[in-house]
Amino acid sequence: MPLLELAGITKDYRLGKTFVHALRGLDLTIEQGEIVALMGPSGSGKSTLMHILGALDTPTSGMAAFDGQSLQQLSENQLVTLRGRKVGFVFQTFNLVPTLSAQKNVELPMIFLGVPKRKRAARAKELLTKVGLADRIRHKPNELSGGERQRVAIARALANNPEIILADEPTGNLDTETGGTILELLRRLSVDDGKTVVLVTHDPEAVRIAGRVIRLRDGRTVEEKANA
Amino acid sequence: MLRDFLVLAGSSILHRKIRSWLTVIGVFIGITAVVALISVGLGLERTIDDEVAKVFGVDTFVLAPRGSFGPARSSEGSNQYALDLEWLRTLDGVQTAAAVRQRTAFVQGQPGPEGRLAQGFLPVMGLSPELITSFSSFVGSLEVEPGGRLFQEADSVVAVLGREVATRLRVDVGQTIVIAGDADKPEITFTVVGILATADDERPQQGFTSGMPASATTIYIPYGTMESLWGPAQDVLVTLVRTAPGRDVDEVANRAQAELRARGSRVTAITYSDISSAIGTVTSTVSAFLAGIAGISLLVGGVGVMNTMFTSVLERTKEIGIMKAVGAKNSHILSIFVIESGMMGLVGGIVGTLLGLGLSAVASAIIGRMFDVRIAVVASPVLITATLGGSFLLGAVAGLWPARRASKLPVVDALRYE
Ligand SMILES: Nc1ncnc2c1ncn2[C@@H]1O[C@H](COP(=O)(O)OP(=O)(O)OP(=O)(O)O)[C@@H](O)[C@H]1O
Ligand SMILES: [Mg+2]
Repeated sequence: MPLLELAGITKDYRLGKTFVHALRGLDLTIEQGEIVALMGPSGSGKSTLMHILGALDTPTSGMAAFDGQSLQQLSENQLVTLRGRKVGFVFQTFNLVPTLSAQKNVELPMIFLGVPKRKRAARAKELLTKVGLADRIRHKPNELSGGERQRVAIARALANNPEIILADEPTGNLDTETGGTILELLRRLSVDDGKTVVLVTHDPEAVRIAGRVIRLRDGRTVEEKANA
Repeated sequence: MLRDFLVLAGSSILHRKIRSWLTVIGVFIGITAVVALISVGLGLERTIDDEVAKVFGVDTFVLAPRGSFGPARSSEGSNQYALDLEWLRTLDGVQTAAAVRQRTAFVQGQPGPEGRLAQGFLPVMGLSPELITSFSSFVGSLEVEPGGRLFQEADSVVAVLGREVATRLRVDVGQTIVIAGDADKPEITFTVVGILATADDERPQQGFTSGMPASATTIYIPYGTMESLWGPAQDVLVTLVRTAPGRDVDEVANRAQAELRARGSRVTAITYSDISSAIGTVTSTVSAFLAGIAGISLLVGGVGVMNTMFTSVLERTKEIGIMKAVGAKNSHILSIFVIESGMMGLVGGIVGTLLGLGLSAVASAIIGRMFDVRIAVVASPVLITATLGGSFLLGAVAGLWPARRASKLPVVDALRYE
């Protein structure tokens, strides 16, 4: 059974009298443990699709299932639990809480799951060390560089040891070397721990770790290319 | 998890220091006003109560003319009543009783230089000697001029005169006056044993002097002797009754009132608790009025918190989206924001309570200096707990609405909010 299954997904945004058709009948299947790269021009609906994959948004029509469970049938609280436990989301705009330190930001998903304080702190430090921010744990987001914020966001996405990591341009703000470290981290998650990774990227390096590349154009998948 | 929410709420409060303080100020001004006004009210109440207890004693009650006290007060009817004082003294539970009766009588004094007798119609008051011996706190400072004395229990045909009467009748201590009673009774000659010292106006009148002012124009004779002039008492102004130790004053007072009424005395028994509750109604009306005014400022404070919470929630819409995206339920969001606004309310409450108590102490001292009394400073535990609980609630309620609104926003919309 595929981990994620989308069929006939459409997403319309209403702007006054006109509609923006961000997704227009999209089908997509993602298997457990694979790394999928999502590419496409700006405005082609990549972020929109990621939000639907991560149960952050609901499609206008179509069917979305996570682990065989239709998302439409879940209550709001069940969706919250799903997001908290199974999905790690790295946003294109990071979305860190400005009032909290790097460590607290990474702890946040664990707080809502009720992870005990000590365990939480240890895990946050471990993850921040993994992304190379061991000496930045007390910094607030506005005291971090763009690349550092992005890495905090990645650490946070990993906090609850999710099944799937959805990363919207995770290396967009990083130099080749740091970007390489992050990509290697994601690759290991997939290879070693069997995690599923979907990443939106324009980075040829990132495409290289992906098992599959999916191109979006005008709200539809136009090409799927399997990497060898 | 509650602890974590406290930390989250706290860090957000600290992050917006100035605004948070402004909100807290909005709350504590209201709370300060409420606490100060209520505390001063309570202090006044306590002070009056203490004063009443000091004069009255908790074991004593007063028999006043019926209808002269309480809600059914009327100007109708006589302000004097019939009384069998000897019978009252034998009533179960009564230890001592003392009464005052008053008449106007034709009185003759000593001859003047032309040999004419000084004479006139003058008020004559019969006082139980016990009034002076046992109820001194009621009588206050009755003092006689040097060389004289007040009368004692054994005295019968002695009189104490007010200064003005003594001058008018041309008598001095040791001389005599003649008082005429009812037509069918013989006149009686009294020896003047004392002349009341004129009250020194500098000193405020103390004690239960309203019933029997140490009047300069009155002649005082022993209560018992009044009977020889006017027969059994029909003309009592006031009676003081002390109950036996350990007896329930209110019970004895009620019984005395009922039985005296049955015997034809138109009396009302007033105990310490009657007086304090009568004063209590007045002071609590005043307190309630003051608290009402203070409540308005509190309401303004509450609206202030709501306003702050509203802006705070609005500008953190994105943050709410983030928290929901990483697994926060609506109830979590709600808790965090309600705790946050509740904490601001509580801090405002603590600061306000402290300031309010301080202010009430200062106000009491000033009022006390103005009226030359010591006003009790009351820090009521009930008031303090209620205030702290109330201020937390105020903040929480003020934060509830904006927080609910924010928590209901769809995640993606919240995330996109700038
Ligand atoms: N809330 C919204 N209201 C209206 N239109 C929207 C909204 N969100 C997205 N869109 C539109 O939907 C389309 C797809 O947007 P999306 O953010 O998914 O693009 P993207 O592929 O992630 O682009 P980029 O590479 O620039 O991030 C765009 O044309 C965008 O203008
Ligand atoms: Mg995008």
